[in-house]
Amino acid sequence: MTDIDNWLRSNTFHHSQFWDLKRLVEEKEKQGLLLSLCIPTLNEEKTIGKELVLFKSELMDRYPLLDEIAVIDSGSTDRTLEVAAAFGADVYRSADILPDLGSRLGKGENLWKAIYQLKGDIIVYVDADIKNIHPRFAYGLIAPLIYRPEIKYVKAFYDRPLATSKETRPLGGGRVTEILVRPLFSLFFPELSALVQPLSGEYAVRRELLERLPFPIGYGVETAHLIDTYSAWGLEAIAQTDLDSRVHRNQPTRDLGRMAFGILHAFLTRLRLHGIVSGLPELTTMLRQFQTRADEYEQLLFEISEEERPPMIDVPAYREKRGNMD
Amino acid sequence: MQDNPGLHEFVARLPAALEGCREIILANLVMIGEIPAPTFHEQARIDFLQQRFTESGLQNVSSDEVGNGAAVLPGTEGHKNILVSAHADTPFPATIEHTLSIYPERVIGPGIADNSLGLSMIATLPMLLDFLDIQLRSNLILMGATRSLGRGDLAGLRFFLANSSVPISAGLSVEGVQLGRLDYASQSSIDAEITCRIQVVPGKGAADRSSAVLVLNQMIQRLCQLVRPQDLVLGSIEGGTAFKTPARNAVLRIELQQDSDNKLTELTRSIDAIVEDISAQTGAQLRFDIIARSNAGGLDPQHPLVEHARSIITALGIEPGQGCYSTVASCFNDQGIPGLVIGITEGQHLNQPDEEIEIEPVFRGIAQLIGILMAIDGGCCDGH
Repeated sequence: MTDIDNWLRSNTFHHSQFWDLKRLVEEKEKQGLLLSLCIPTLNEEKTIGKELVLFKSELMDRYPLLDEIAVIDSGSTDRTLEVAAAFGADVYRSADILPDLGSRLGKGENLWKAIYQLKGDIIVYVDADIKNIHPRFAYGLIAPLIYRPEIKYVKAFYDRPLATSKETRPLGGGRVTEILVRPLFSLFFPELSALVQPLSGEYAVRRELLERLPFPIGYGVETAHLIDTYSAWGLEAIAQTDLDSRVHRNQPTRDLGRMAFGILHAFLTRLRLHGIVSGLPELTTMLRQFQTRADEYEQLLFEISEEERPPMIDVPAYREKRGNMD
Repeated sequence: MQDNPGLHEFVARLPAALEGCREIILANLVMIGEIPAPTFHEQARIDFLQQRFTESGLQNVSSDEVGNGAAVLPGTEGHKNILVSAHADTPFPATIEHTLSIYPERVIGPGIADNSLGLSMIATLPMLLDFLDIQLRSNLILMGATRSLGRGDLAGLRFFLANSSVPISAGLSVEGVQLGRLDYASQSSIDAEITCRIQVVPGKGAADRSSAVLVLNQMIQRLCQLVRPQDLVLGSIEGGTAFKTPARNAVLRIELQQDSDNKLTELTRSIDAIVEDISAQTGAQLRFDIIARSNAGGLDPQHPLVEHARSIITALGIEPGQGCYSTVASCFNDQGIPGLVIGITEGQHLNQPDEEIEIEPVFRGIAQLIGILMAIDGGCCDGH
């Protein structure tokens, strides 16, 4: 566990360490980096406007840290696209990117297509449903990549109590993290259990890593990223930043069950891929949940596809666009 | 009516130019608006404001004894000091969710109009003047005022005006809404609470049906007989704890206005007498407490500042508001400083959780603010 202790000391940050945006921009420019912000959306009209206004004002107009802000949408039926365009984002429908490769429904699909569409050397992903959005959600994740060349993947976590003492207190993620992901990491990838909130939807990644990651299109994308990054580059390539607090929609337990199903699917696939377990049966994509109606008990079947997109670097159109990396 | 075609033409071009700053304007609005600031607890907002002042390179960024946050944008000559202030507090407790939503045409959230937008103007004005390449000859004192609403009784602004280390030539108080308001005078007014407490007769308990709400109902009827409807605001009433238990405590909050301080003093004496009378009749403990008071006074409608401001508003195609009274005007008047209260945009659901403002008129509202500043800077108040 010494590695974990060292890593917690060296690779866990708090956003306030990066308050000096002027210095951050200077360092970014010195390194000649291009930075892209990607916001995946699906019916986010209530929160997307505020996110765009804050990021554009603070991290483009006042401090030119971001070179592009893009919304990649899964097919919203509300005013998400209209609002996003009105506030100056580059707006893309996921289905319109790499159309020859078809379209899948899922957040992971948007994240994957962003690698093709966006120009940044670093892409920072921020969910669109954050009520208390603040520029730190982007710069807090980007800064470790700018100041520490060996770090390739920075994950957000949220923990800022109003009062602290010398006493210990538990750190933790949400329900799915604590009853599924952290136990699984502890069993199979103990070092990854040090990620406080492995499922958070906010992270910044260097393109050189991002383009080499396969992408589950659904709930398993974050878990898969961590395992694949850890397996290929080790824990030292990963960092995490405390962004204080995040206010977002609370999900009902039944929805969390679907999320857990998708994550488990991606996790087991990786166990098999890395030769950690063998003899697993073909994994079903059907989740069964149940309900009662009058005196009847009913089965609900949910198809949860955890299809994976290949590493973007293996997509010929991408290699062509990026200047033929053969 | 004052006429200044050059200034009017310049100001009329500002709204289009200011649209280029939309994200900066809205970002400051959001960051300020999502910081809770109930009266007497404005510190976090003031901290943010001062951070913005510092980033804009203002001088003398400071706080005073009552928590106001102020800074100076030096003028090219600095012979005069113009104060632009906005109250930092809102009527919402910190416990309610302060999340704002932005749509292309409007922003929604508690306190957005009263007065997050006004305060955000104070934070944003230096950047906007810089963007527009406007340099005033006068020093601009920018201030977020604390302790304004309710029991605050405008204490922040009053303190600053009474204790400013530099003479202030003119003052503008910025409110989020409504665009077109031009308040330059104040009526004599008080905010007051009438509290009622019922002492339960020992041994009677729940059988005693005496209700504080009923007593306050008598009070309301007597007030309505005593005061003209236009001079009385029955602001809020609350009391009791449950459906089945008679309310033992209740409080009524009112505002009273008169056109002179003497008349208001007379009126408060009459209310004291009514309170005593109802107390004697019902056995309830009634109290009449004045929470905030403003004196009558202010500028004449023909004062050059008022006329210049009105002409600028008109030149921007803004419909001038009908009223002219604000208690804030009394703060300026008490110190002999020409002062106005203006609004920045149109809005609705004021002081409700779904309070909202319209974005498009904001650009004209800011143009109006800058135009009035330029008129003052040009000397419209000099010698008055």
